[in-house]
Amino acid sequence: MPDPKTHTLPAKAAATELKPEGPWRVVVLNDPVNLMSYVVMVFRKVFGFDEARARKHMLEVHELGRSVVWRGHREKAEAYAFTLQQWHLTSVLESDEAS
Amino acid sequence: MKPPERRVEVILSLAVVNPLVDVIRGLVTELREAPPLPHAAPESEPDFNAIWADELVTGRDCDVGVLLAIFDGDFSLEGRVCFDSENAEPFIRACSAVRLCLRDRRLAAVTDEVLESGDMDAAKLDVRTQKAFLCYLFLATLQELVIQRIEDGTIG
Repeated sequence: MPDPKTHTLPAKAAATELKPEGPWRVVVLNDPVNLMSYVVMVFRKVFGFDEARARKHMLEVHELGRSVVWRGHREKAEAYAFTLQQWHLTSVLESDEAS
Repeated sequence: MKPPERRVEVILSLAVVNPLVDVIRGLVTELREAPPLPHAAPESEPDFNAIWADELVTGRDCDVGVLLAIFDGDFSLEGRVCFDSENAEPFIRACSAVRLCLRDRRLAAVTDEVLESGDMDAAKLDVRTQKAFLCYLFLATLQELVIQRIEDGTIG
């Protein structure tokens, strides 16, 4: 399978015309299955977080049920969310403008 | 000269682990049919959603194939499994996929709190659920081990 670290989006999807929308949040939601050490490792791998930052986001997910792990344009946010889902972390995109 | 590849070998008890691997093998068809996580973005187009889902399923199938391959060969003869830079990440992803599927398909009777803590007397469960729960814990243990070895540079 493609390396999730470098994977962006499915090839056909990348060609989809995306509307020039404002900033989006990538939000990771809690689940009772994935180990804390696994979530920390995935955050470090996908976002390049250091240990402390990855652990902070993991604890937010664990204790608050969700953590905003990235903000930016939709196309890149979708790519991050896709990669997180390849690692079986439940992630959703939310528009910053909607809040 | 290419340096020798670092890898980790683990010797497992065939008598204990074989029944748990059978649980995984028995779950493969259901796992292949299980829907992936839904598309993460609101208002996305159906074609895009379908491609998203297909890619996730393809990746998951590949990862589970790697996991099953680890439990073929040397494992079936002497209980030995090996982790290296090629199979470590697909393996830990597959562990998550299988554990999520176990939760949905075999462990519905077990609360999320118990799953999260792992604190339960498995003897109180019926045999099928008991095996699924032990398999769930077994995969978490191996996953933790491999993550530690990736992070300390033993695998790579």
